[in-house]
Amino acid sequence: MTRFIFADLRRLWAGSLVVVLLIAFATALGVAVTLQERALRLGSARAADRFDLVVGAPGSETQLLLSSVFLQPSPLPLMSGDVLSKLAADPRVSWTAPVGFGDSFSGYPIVGTSTALATNLSAMSEGRVFSKASEAVIGAAVTLPLGYAVKPMHGTAGGETHTELAYRITGRLAPTGTSWDRAILVPIQAVWGLHGMDAYGHEADEAHAENTAGDPAAGVPQDEAAHHDDPGHGEHAAIDPDAPLDEHWTAETPGLPAILVKPKTIADAYKLRQDYRGNGTLAVFPGEVLTNLYATLGDAKRVLSAVAVGAQILVAAAVLMVTVMHIGQRRRQIGALRAFGAPQSAVLMIVWLELFILIALGILLGFAIGYGAAMLLSAMFSGESGIVLPVGFIRDDVKSVIAIVLFSAVLALAPALLAYRQSPAAALRA
Amino acid sequence: MLSLDINSVSVSYSGLPTPVLDIASLSIEAGSRVAITGASGSGKSTLVHILTGLERCAAGGSIRWGGVDIAEMSERSRDRWRGAHIGLVMQDFHLFPGLSAVDNILLPARLSRAVKPGDPDRALMLLYAVGLCRADQTIETMSRGEMQRVAIARALLRKPGVLIADEPTASLDSDSGDAVARLLIDLSVSNESTLIVVSHDPRLTGRLERRITLSAGRIASDREHREKAA
Ligand SMILES: Nc1ncnc2c1ncn2[C@@H]1O[C@H](COP(=O)(O)OP(=O)(O)O)[C@@H](O)[C@H]1O
Ligand SMILES: [Mg+2]
Repeated sequence: MTRFIFADLRRLWAGSLVVVLLIAFATALGVAVTLQERALRLGSARAADRFDLVVGAPGSETQLLLSSVFLQPSPLPLMSGDVLSKLAADPRVSWTAPVGFGDSFSGYPIVGTSTALATNLSAMSEGRVFSKASEAVIGAAVTLPLGYAVKPMHGTAGGETHTELAYRITGRLAPTGTSWDRAILVPIQAVWGLHGMDAYGHEADEAHAENTAGDPAAGVPQDEAAHHDDPGHGEHAAIDPDAPLDEHWTAETPGLPAILVKPKTIADAYKLRQDYRGNGTLAVFPGEVLTNLYATLGDAKRVLSAVAVGAQILVAAAVLMVTVMHIGQRRRQIGALRAFGAPQSAVLMIVWLELFILIALGILLGFAIGYGAAMLLSAMFSGESGIVLPVGFIRDDVKSVIAIVLFSAVLALAPALLAYRQSPAAALRA
Repeated sequence: MLSLDINSVSVSYSGLPTPVLDIASLSIEAGSRVAITGASGSGKSTLVHILTGLERCAAGGSIRWGGVDIAEMSERSRDRWRGAHIGLVMQDFHLFPGLSAVDNILLPARLSRAVKPGDPDRALMLLYAVGLCRADQTIETMSRGEMQRVAIARALLRKPGVLIADEPTASLDSDSGDAVARLLIDLSVSNESTLIVVSHDPRLTGRLERRITLSAGRIASDREHREKAA
């Protein structure tokens, strides 16, 4: 029987190949969409998981999340710098770190922060954490060597290059699977200095500090005007690259777009979020914001799934048509076998198996192609964002595979039953 | 060897005013060799289908092979009975391309799970008997005469009690037709099978001891000519 079936398939290899490929591509489409959606959800959730609590100025929670966790450039309003000193002193806080954005280097965002983040985000895979204003630590995905001089460019692309300061890379972090793998971490005091917000060391006038603290545009690269009109502009050249780190946060600390907070316990996390909502601050759980974001994106996912399902139905119809034609002539040929002594059940089995083998091969191949495509897409996405998208099958996928296989087994039964019921005399006359 | 007794067999198709086959009674002795002739459309193939149980006749008819009435059998038991007792040879072979000669001979038995230990050897022996020696040659590379000889070997594999052929030489050139005609008669004798051949071919019908002529589904004549028996 199997020898017969394989001889048959070999003889009609072109038709068989078309059927297998059609089914494979339909399956691959569905598999890729499912895997990619899942990978995006898991990957971003894992990336967000690294950060328990983010505090920013009141505004869009989504924007706060995108900027601080996913390092997407967007103008964030600033909150008063004393929030940082309050949080740092809070007994419920394990560690806290400021984040300040503004510059980039060859596509990598330069993030001003403190040693607290640089040491807690991930272990150092080589080198050491920055210890003075002009040193930098890079994420695992930044392809620059240690010792390299990073000349910060204002903004993300096409901005002017700051000539006052070049950071020297002193260490590299182990991979985290987050956007921070693509970040260049520098002491935040350097960022402040470059953007004329330095409240320390250079006796910056009170007026300036107050001004920046209340100005939503300051410290944000997009606002060129504010930058150039900044009375502190002249101080740029005064940055001392060898200035020691100053991580002693006070009420004088300049305004900040976001603060990352590691609470000691889950209960502390909820209390902190409660305490820092309102009164000039907005505290969010990144995971929660992400969940809300998915809820609003749910419709888009449904559209995507509908497209995939629609394509699959079309291909299923095409496959059915091809197979009905493909099996059609041989249904008679195989039916004639009964005249020579083969039982009816063998006729049913042959037609069914032949079709089922093709469909099963197609599904198998489709899963492989879909998996490969999802891996490829994830790799491309990771390259751009640093977020690792874990492509993988879950236990429930086994169920859907079984469902699909059962469905195709039933589908293959249709031409098999036609062959089964066909009169052998009619088959002989054909 | 099987004997045949059929009674009040009638086959009609909707849309046709008269039955395409209408035989009150017909008997064929076990081991005899019978030719069936008649004009095209006279019902010869229909008779073959009825005799082999591939088609059912109208209710009331009986088709007894060695005393067993196949008209009363279920579809499934008729399939099994046919596999065991009938060897069939058709005008256009119905062999399977992609398979070798010997695999084609064994195919129906394999599909019925009825292959006996000696069958592969018997297949080779039969192939040799029909004058072919390349057992592994695939069907599509063979000449039509060779194909028909493989079909004869296939029909004989399970030592059927009756060998039935429907115009076995009609699509062959005269030399191949001659060989096939001779093989059918010789092998039915050596395998002790009753032989029923539908044919217009005088080389074939002339060698058989009885000739039944059909006309419009009825038996028009039934003659024995023992003097010409092979
Ligand atoms: N399935 C069918 N439906 C209608 N008519 C049929 C069918 N099968 C055969 N016939 C008719 O029955 C008659 C006998 O056919 P057949 O037995 O094949 O003739 P022969 O073999 O003697 O040439 C023909 O007229 C044919 O057209
Ligand atoms: Mg005919």
